[in-house]
Amino acid sequence: MLGAAGAAVAMVAAMPEALHACPVCFDRDDEARIAFLATTGLLTLLPLGMVLGTGAWLRRRARELRGDEGGGEE
Amino acid sequence: MTARATIIPFRPKPRRAEKLISNGVLGMLLFVFVEVMLFAGFISAFVIIKSRAVGSVWPPPNQPRLPFEETAVNTSALIASGIVLLIAHRLYQRGKESVGVLLALATVLGGVFVWLQGTEWLALIREGLTLTSSNYGALFYTIIGAHAAHAVVAICVLAWAWLRMTRGRLSREAMSTVSLFWYFVVLVWPFLYFQVYL
Repeated sequence: MLGAAGAAVAMVAAMPEALHACPVCFDRDDEARIAFLATTGLLTLLPLGMVLGTGAWLRRRARELRGDEGGGEE
Repeated sequence: MTARATIIPFRPKPRRAEKLISNGVLGMLLFVFVEVMLFAGFISAFVIIKSRAVGSVWPPPNQPRLPFEETAVNTSALIASGIVLLIAHRLYQRGKESVGVLLALATVLGGVFVWLQGTEWLALIREGLTLTSSNYGALFYTIIGAHAAHAVVAICVLAWAWLRMTRGRLSREAMSTVSLFWYFVVLVWPFLYFQVYL
């Protein structure tokens, strides 16, 4: 059972175009394929970037606040 | 009889811990994230539909061209509005209370942007570009219309903030929250402009 599933996955990975497994990656038209890939990248990376950016900003701000409190007690 | 002095230890008044981020700013930040993804989805749809245009001809041959040069004036007004608000916001955060004029100027410039957009839309409708005329029209009015709707709401919020400021009742947090909304409206525009109009 597992072997059959593994073989199916391997086939899809090896021949995605013939199996129409990935319309995003194997569009006939070059321009459309680039557009699909670019927008997939945008929609994947944008939320990650926003979350990481906000995390980094909050961390910096927390450090600043801790620095202020430390300076005030001296 | 000996006089005894009572020693009262000096205890500094505990400082109120400053918040990492105010509730208003956090709420607006989450809202802006959602809206950024909405516009990213719009731009993605536009890019893919444009790339699959029949015969790679875009805009469609029977549709009017978007006024790229005229819209540069709107864009300038919007960017100027964002810069003026940034200055007002910074001054207000530093404790300067009299930034009502700058806030009003930012609001008026935002209004100019929306008004010019409205006149541009009327001209395009007269030329035959409507929501149902083509994918081009549908995408244009959906994307630019969504931005205009955000701009109108943000202008109302800026006007509300200005009113509160003139009465001396606008908190620093509220100013940051309102500004964040307007920065989003200003910063998302260049992406839409260069993607949709060019």
